Amino acid sequence: MIVLRGITKRFPGVVANDHIDLEVRRGEIHALVGENGAGKSTLMRILYGLYQPDEGTIEVNGRPVVIDSPRTALALGIGMVHQHFMLIPRFTVAENVILGSEPAGAFGRLQRREAEERVRELCQQYGFALDPAAEVSTLSVGEQQRVEIIKVLYRGAGVLILDEPTAVLVPQEVDELFVNLRRLREQGKTIIFISHMLDEVLEISDRITVLRRGRVVGTVPAAGTTKSQLAEMMVGRPVLLELEHPPVMPGDVRLEARDITVAGRGGKPAVHRVSLAVRAGEIYGIAGVEGNGQTEFVEALVGLRPVISGQILIDGQEVTHATARAVRLLGVANIPEDRHRRGLVLPMAVWENVVLGHHARRQFLNGAFVDRQAVESFADKQVEKFDIRLSSIDVPALALSGGNQQKVIVAREFSFSPKVLIAAQPTRGLDIGATEFVERQLLEARANGMAVLLISANLEEVLSLSDRIGVMYSGELVAEFRRGEATPQELGLYMTGTRRQTAGTGVSPS
Amino acid sequence: MKWRLFALQFATPLLAILFGVLIASIIVLAIGQNPLDVFGVLIRFGLLRSDSLLSILFKATPLIFAGLAVALSFRAALWNIGVEGQFYIGAFTAAYIGFTLKGLPIFIHLPLTILAAAAGGMAWALIPIVLKLRRGAHEVITTIMMNYIAAALILYLIADVFRDPSQVGTPRVRTPEFPPSARVPSMGPLLELFGLTGPDANKVNWLLPFGLVLCVVFAIVLSRTRFGYEVRAVAFSPLAAEAAGIPNARIQFLMFMLSGAVAGLVGLNDVLGFFGYLDIDFPKGLGFLGISVALLAKNNPLGVILAALLFGFLDRGAQGVQFFARTPKEVIVILQALIILAIVVAYELMTRYVRKQRKREAERPPPAATVAAEAGR
Repeated sequence: MIVLRGITKRFPGVVANDHIDLEVRRGEIHALVGENGAGKSTLMRILYGLYQPDEGTIEVNGRPVVIDSPRTALALGIGMVHQHFMLIPRFTVAENVILGSEPAGAFGRLQRREAEERVRELCQQYGFALDPAAEVSTLSVGEQQRVEIIKVLYRGAGVLILDEPTAVLVPQEVDELFVNLRRLREQGKTIIFISHMLDEVLEISDRITVLRRGRVVGTVPAAGTTKSQLAEMMVGRPVLLELEHPPVMPGDVRLEARDITVAGRGGKPAVHRVSLAVRAGEIYGIAGVEGNGQTEFVEALVGLRPVISGQILIDGQEVTHATARAVRLLGVANIPEDRHRRGLVLPMAVWENVVLGHHARRQFLNGAFVDRQAVESFADKQVEKFDIRLSSIDVPALALSGGNQQKVIVAREFSFSPKVLIAAQPTRGLDIGATEFVERQLLEARANGMAVLLISANLEEVLSLSDRIGVMYSGELVAEFRRGEATPQELGLYMTGTRRQTAGTGVSPS
Repeated sequence: MKWRLFALQFATPLLAILFGVLIASIIVLAIGQNPLDVFGVLIRFGLLRSDSLLSILFKATPLIFAGLAVALSFRAALWNIGVEGQFYIGAFTAAYIGFTLKGLPIFIHLPLTILAAAAGGMAWALIPIVLKLRRGAHEVITTIMMNYIAAALILYLIADVFRDPSQVGTPRVRTPEFPPSARVPSMGPLLELFGLTGPDANKVNWLLPFGLVLCVVFAIVLSRTRFGYEVRAVAFSPLAAEAAGIPNARIQFLMFMLSGAVAGLVGLNDVLGFFGYLDIDFPKGLGFLGISVALLAKNNPLGVILAALLFGFLDRGAQGVQFFARTPKEVIVILQALIILAIVVAYELMTRYVRKQRKREAERPPPAATVAAEAGR
């Protein structure tokens, strides 16, 4: 149905796609996997007409075509569902769907009723549970994604490109999405599914094409392929998917939150009476859909956000109203969730970033002056130890890839023997190799007696690393489990607020 | 490759100036004159006469302070548009200390006067920065408003409160004259040793080297010290700085105060170095010129020196062009602005290009190291 031959796309300094051959059959779900920078997005942007290939040809239905814009792509029946939704919250579902190709009657009158009817028909045809008259701002993330898919179907697409569609969903929503995708396939639609979540890829797709460094490593049928085979194809070397999680005897409580309430926007508390305690040698994972107070909770813990009530203790010392600097000096390291805004000063050099927050230590100062030699030799050591790939420590942090940027942060936060590590979304946006690296570091920190608080939207990660797991929903800690006590599906129920443990039944720190 | 980038960075300002000259030539051609003539006069008159050199130095002196003041605030991601007003107040407080204290030796009186100027500038900068950090009022608006207040206040003080009684009845509205102990000595005698003589020789005074030293000191502070490191972090990413425990507000407050203090010194070149009193017609607009100087200098204290000299040169050269090449004055003003504009644009383009090249270099590991690393695995 779609045949790409010898597609090559060069950007200054890199070959993003290097003679890629890809054949997508009608009515299949074809997954495209690969690490960040492997060229998945570039290839799909070429297919969707956002980029022009430097070499190579595209055939659709056996005819060679030139796709010079998304409009052309749509005319050929190719539609794209973006990872970041492009919806107007105050518009209804139907209004959002017709946006850009509004059906107009005489004198340009908007045929709202007809549009709604058409959207309703589409939902019925594909079994999508959606109310065309509902305002988008009232919908859940999963429902919003359905709107995006309907939008593409409304424009008559026979081929749907889904860019990391599961990244924003909780397990139940993923299941629903897969049901919907299978139904689309039954009706003859073709789906190209981009992801790096290997379990999902194996579950949903018929065939899988793996990209690495701009080239096709191979196309395999999903049936009969294992996760570790796929991972090895992606990374180019065997990868340990399940890191060892040896038992560690937890020590004293290092980090404790007692009933803390934290202000959010507009006076409503973002965090409501959360209590938890993390012991030395323990990883406490917080699962939850993003935006349920995790960000504010972490900011309160590290002294960046005022606490309305309750207490925070580090090693038994009260730090409820301490400054970020004081908290840091007590040995609390923080891998912030937004590494670009909170973790690094992007225009500053790597050697400067690698001591950010610790730059005032005596070892790096020479009176009022920065002892550049000392900092640089420290930076060199960290670069080697954490295998940060760069041409020189003088380059600004913004010139590094996401994985290398995260390594700079990890190198910094692990370097000054912290007692407590608060890691928020530490592997977000990282490829398998870098993810494995960061997760290994977290486990090593645990083995070395650090108390680790891990906040992650990636449920798999929380489950595989944590000794205990708390679920945050709507600013509250609604459930707490020991390792192995809960399945992803169960956690999903708590994450969406469908279920909650009654107050006080949480597991006390063992 | 690395050397090529290095050379490119050096060539950037030169290419930028060349581009500016090119654009200006088109204008000169458009009014029917020969650009070669005009630029010939500009250079011959502006650079090759010793009295012109002295004039450039005199004109550049206050611009060094003004440019530095603006640059200091810009470096902390603050927009001090109030250098103009701060310099009025600084000039007045200096004048006040100058004419009220009497009988002190120069090594006490002069430093006091200069400190008074800095304190005046700081006082005027205090209100906007406190409003900004405490209440979130944007400093661009508050500093502009403070400029108006300063302008009116200083006219009132000169004309109605501290007017030189001996001048009442004459058209001269000014403060009393300062004793010599509050005046900045001229560099004329020293410059004469280098063969620089002319009518402006006595105007060039020791504030010039003082300004140069100040620029060098700030260049070092900003690039080498812990304070400078924190300033950069706060300016580039307040959120990351906050997360690192750097006190954002304190750093911004300090930098704004420093900016105000330096702004207070802008008027001294004329008041203490030349006139010896504060006249109601003292030179105005220097604070706004300082913004252009700082922009041209990319907020680099050392660049401020060069930019201020360039402004002094353009100003002096323009007088010659007007006189010798018979180009209308208005055209010269346009030329000045165009050259500066072209330099800013060309500079920006070049910097972007260099940055892009650097970025491309960044993740390319040094070849030898990669091979070793791969082999070690």
